[in-house]
Amino acid sequence: MAQKLKETILNPILKGNPITVLVLGICSALAVTVQLKGALVMALSVIVVTGLSSFVCSLLRNTIPNRVRIIVQLVVVAMMVILVDQILKAGEGTYAIDKQLSVYIGLIITNCIVMGRIEAFALGNKPIPSLLDGIANGVGYGLILVIVAFFRELFGSGTLLGFQVLPAAYVPNNLVILPPFALILIGCIIWVHRAIDKDLQEN
Amino acid sequence: MNTNNNVYTVIYTSIVVVIVAAVLAFVAAKLGPAQDANAKAETLRQMMSAAGIKPTEELYATGNADILQLYADNIEEAYTIGLDGEKNGELGTAKDNIQLVDKLKPQNKAIKAGGEATLPVYIFKGGKVVIPVYGAGLWGPVWGYIALEPDCRTIAGAYFDHEGETPGLGAKIKDEPWFREKFVGKTVEWGDTPAFRLEKNAEATGAANAVDAISGATMTSKGLNEALNVWFKAYEKSLGIGAFFHMLEEHASETTPNAEEE
Repeated sequence: MAQKLKETILNPILKGNPITVLVLGICSALAVTVQLKGALVMALSVIVVTGLSSFVCSLLRNTIPNRVRIIVQLVVVAMMVILVDQILKAGEGTYAIDKQLSVYIGLIITNCIVMGRIEAFALGNKPIPSLLDGIANGVGYGLILVIVAFFRELFGSGTLLGFQVLPAAYVPNNLVILPPFALILIGCIIWVHRAIDKDLQEN
Repeated sequence: MNTNNNVYTVIYTSIVVVIVAAVLAFVAAKLGPAQDANAKAETLRQMMSAAGIKPTEELYATGNADILQLYADNIEEAYTIGLDGEKNGELGTAKDNIQLVDKLKPQNKAIKAGGEATLPVYIFKGGKVVIPVYGAGLWGPVWGYIALEPDCRTIAGAYFDHEGETPGLGAKIKDEPWFREKFVGKTVEWGDTPAFRLEKNAEATGAANAVDAISGATMTSKGLNEALNVWFKAYEKSLGIGAFFHMLEEHASETTPNAEEE
């Protein structure tokens, strides 16, 4: 049991990482990783949404009519996303970040990771493991987001979390700020991940 | 229990939707005041950024309460005018009277319909006049605040915002400081059509009322250009005449006969 729980939590972060292995959630990973702060808020939002949606859907799993299960799941996910968005808008410190992330918070609804985990895991498992699975997948997604944002903010703006890190003489690299670079960076992360974990390599 | 039964499905989905709606309504009502306070502070930051009360970054690093205080310290007068240029209402300078962006939408309709409008005018200490502009971008509304020097003609500063323009393209009107800085020192040519030009290669003409559109954001630029011109036209009878009288005064005060003012 404990072994299985450990697997549930660690697998999405390492071997079954939603971005580097399943290649899900790429769109938002390209869009919100220009700055570390935005990426952190986005990662946290996704963790909350995946965790709670999986939890609620798992609670309902035996009662959901099979024919409309996707719609019911979508309603639950949409509710969570709207809640997160509303809370971010109400916080004095998070209002500006919410505006900066603009549509991407709302687009968590369409993030394949959320629906994917509900379909693949929450509908067949008890609420607590589902909650952990959702959170772990959110963390796996967030981890990559933060790594990408770290490099993009460092080399694109010379700052980290808004503080100047590189000397003022450093000329910010504009390519790093553009979305294509995020794709290159994610490609590199996938490469490194596969080089370390031989199981991921196909013959 | 057969969960695939039609009646069950209908009842189940109805209950789920009602519960979700209730939760969302409750949360929206609970968080409404806090969101409103944030939105008000945001509006003030944009206006004061345009008016140059403080640098934009500093305004965004300042808390909501201090922003309200800063506004109270710097605002001189706030009122509304009609399309005829006549004052038709007081906004007052109290912080409860701050008009949020959603107030601009009906005004935009009123301008276009030529009906009754109450267009806000904010006069800051030192005589800078701040007016809003509002229009349709590509995905949603775009708006901004234009601060005019006391001569009612030279642009002292501008701040633009949008609801959902494409990040990296149309969103540049807000995200890129160089865009709003381009407006500083430009003029609004009251009486001309158009009074202001935000167009491709406009700067190359050397006109004082022209700013280049953003490449890759054609629709946003067009929308903003229209917003600027529609609203400038609406303010023409008030601020345009103000600018005219200001020029007359300047002429009258000229002592050297050779000095010509254009």
